[in-house]
Amino acid sequence: MAADLLPLAGLALSPDALVAAVQLLCPAAQARPDCDRPAVKVTVGDWPELAGRLRAHADLLFDLLETHTAIDWPESGRIELVYLLTSLRRGHHLTVFVDIPRDDPVAPSVCAVWPVAQWQEREVYDLFGVRYADHPDLRRLFLDDDWQGFPLRKDYADAFMLDRPS
Amino acid sequence: MGLVTDHLPGALLPLPGGGALLTAIDQVVNWSRANSLWPLTFGTSCCAIEVMMATGAARHDLARFGAEVARPSPRQADLLIIAGTIVKKMAPRLRTLWEQMAEPRYVIATGSCAISGGPFLYHSYTTIRGADEVIPVDVYVPGCPPRPEALLYGLLTLQKMIREGSTLARPGQVRRPVLAALPDGMTLDDVRAEIAALVQETATVDRKAAAAVGAAFAAQDRV
Amino acid sequence: MTAPAPTTLRARLDATPWASPLGTQEYFVNMGPQHPSTHGVLRLVLKLDGETVREVVPVLGYIHRGIEKICEHSNYRQLVHLTDRMDYLSALANNWAVTRVVEKAAGLETNGRIEAIRTLVTELQRIHSHQLWWGVFGMDLGAFTPFFYGFRDREILTDVFERTIGGRLTLNYIQPGGVMHDIHPEFVRDVKAFMAVFRPRLDEYEALLSENVIVQERLRGVGVLSAADAVALGATGPVLRASGVAHDLRKAEPYGLYGQVQFDVPIGSRGDCWDRYAVRMCEMRQSLRIVDQLIDHIPEGKHFLVKPAAKIKVQPGVWYSHLETARGVLGAMLVSTGGEAPYRVHLRTPNFNNLWTVTAMAPGGRVGDLVAILSSLDLVVPDIDR
Ligand code: SF4
Repeated sequence: MAADLLPLAGLALSPDALVAAVQLLCPAAQARPDCDRPAVKVTVGDWPELAGRLRAHADLLFDLLETHTAIDWPESGRIELVYLLTSLRRGHHLTVFVDIPRDDPVAPSVCAVWPVAQWQEREVYDLFGVRYADHPDLRRLFLDDDWQGFPLRKDYADAFMLDRPS
Repeated sequence: MGLVTDHLPGALLPLPGGGALLTAIDQVVNWSRANSLWPLTFGTSCCAIEVMMATGAARHDLARFGAEVARPSPRQADLLIIAGTIVKKMAPRLRTLWEQMAEPRYVIATGSCAISGGPFLYHSYTTIRGADEVIPVDVYVPGCPPRPEALLYGLLTLQKMIREGSTLARPGQVRRPVLAALPDGMTLDDVRAEIAALVQETATVDRKAAAAVGAAFAAQDRV
Repeated sequence: MTAPAPTTLRARLDATPWASPLGTQEYFVNMGPQHPSTHGVLRLVLKLDGETVREVVPVLGYIHRGIEKICEHSNYRQLVHLTDRMDYLSALANNWAVTRVVEKAAGLETNGRIEAIRTLVTELQRIHSHQLWWGVFGMDLGAFTPFFYGFRDREILTDVFERTIGGRLTLNYIQPGGVMHDIHPEFVRDVKAFMAVFRPRLDEYEALLSENVIVQERLRGVGVLSAADAVALGATGPVLRASGVAHDLRKAEPYGLYGQVQFDVPIGSRGDCWDRYAVRMCEMRQSLRIVDQLIDHIPEGKHFLVKPAAKIKVQPGVWYSHLETARGVLGAMLVSTGGEAPYRVHLRTPNFNNLWTVTAMAPGGRVGDLVAILSSLDLVVPDIDR
């Protein structure tokens, strides 16, 4: 088992080839040039299927979900989910962005593909309020169960927080 | 009796009606309390490494002061050294631990986090601004993290406080919080006022002077 | 898509079936947040059947300070000191991770001297961190001596840091565009003296703990983590390498001067507690090897190229950069909308991801083994919670 996980050297795809390969799997994926590493933006509908293929496809082999987080954009009314994928076997990286509406933030869970997502998604639920469909155990992770609001949203405010005097 | 009162003043407390109360035992008790503090192992964050571990280990050797019997159970401890940040979720647990400790119990708050919230004072939605919002504190040891020597000094301060503390002769003597490493007579409010004044002073930037310094640096860089 | 109703820990425990097929009853034991061998304020809810662990549910947040939120209100320089307080045992690697992403985003340059100093001090801190781990690991297994031995040698290195950097633990040294201070004139001599002392002591460590039959019995075959599980659960660093995956960012994507030095990446074969122990012991020797190759070749030059007073501005965009700390992959993601403060910072911490392997390793084992497993993960709880 260990042997097939040893990194295969020299098989990393170049950034352009990587984005092209993803676009073959999912034609609607758009490249994101403002990102320093290969990145694509996909729709929330395409994402669950693409996730499974990114992990399984022999040229891509994204076996490690390095991290998952979100960015809140209140002006455009969306929350952008970020998935940073790494292939230990191929040695390349891909960032996937998925937009979901801010007022009804529901996203598919990818913990069937990458089990660690279970806890990373719980963190995003805790801090951004994104609800993951089919998540086996969606609870707050850091904050108390009865906490009100989602603190990493840009408009979060409570009576306790102090602003730095300017 | 005249012998005792002459040679050991304070050891006997004359009572109305000619009796006397032997109070030297108080001093013995206080002396032994001060020299056999049993700390609770309580560390939440970075300060724990310096304060709980480095101080207890070979080089700094807390055992020299009789306080090395770190107990994991609050019921066996009488000294709570708060090492690290206290957040909202931990605060009730801290209170519970303190309540479970044996009386008389003492609290040393180490590090800026346990004193004021430290680096997480502003824009943090969970950090409690000082452990004294949760439990009473006897000695504050500043630093981020305090050096092991600072904790040792704080411990000595606490021992002094215990030795001079409440006795039968002076019942209910109120212990006031002490900031270790500060001269006598200074209260925490003085320190707070002084810090506020200092911050006020240094926060006022002379823009012209700052711009001149920046330009000089930039010129030097280009060379 | 149906969004599930969020649940609570209480509801989760209530939903657990009580009777086991043996006719015994399962019960819950709470471990932490105030527990001597969870190393801080980690809380685990254990489902036990007698002495056998059935399930482990980590409960977090007892030291969640909201660092990512504070980052949004800080400028690019102020980010660095917050990272000291996450994994404080690898403070320099944390500084470097954030510094690298800021440098990449703002287009700041460094020189050979800066990179050499950064590589050296970070590698020294890997030893520093493993020394503490070794002492505490011994203590968790019931041996007190390693704690004193580990700290005795760690203090030598602490002094080296203190002379150059001025701090003992939270160092705040590696800054965007340079390092805070130039190395102390005695730095090279001090480091060489440390290495001369520490090499034989490492053999002493091996004689004291590694060759102890009780230690071996307690570690071998305990807490086995397969390579596939390790990757699926997001483990990195020594935990991943002990399971046989030779992934080390110092080799895979060399940064600093790691591309110019010779070193090996130790890996394990079974992924048990013993392998995780052995991997870290070997890593200390490899770190000494790296330091040995660099210490006499620190190039001349300035120790900073961007003045501390200079403002740092970043173009709109998304940046990510990661490196290998003593515990695994630490990543920093920066989202900028222009200006002097980040719009969002996300920190991918190794401990947060390594922690979950315990849910795969502990079930089926004994409660006593759980302590060995936790200790072999070398967790730093504030790095999990941030
Ligand atoms: S005072 Fe500083 S070192 Fe201590 S816990 Fe707070 S941040 Fe960490």
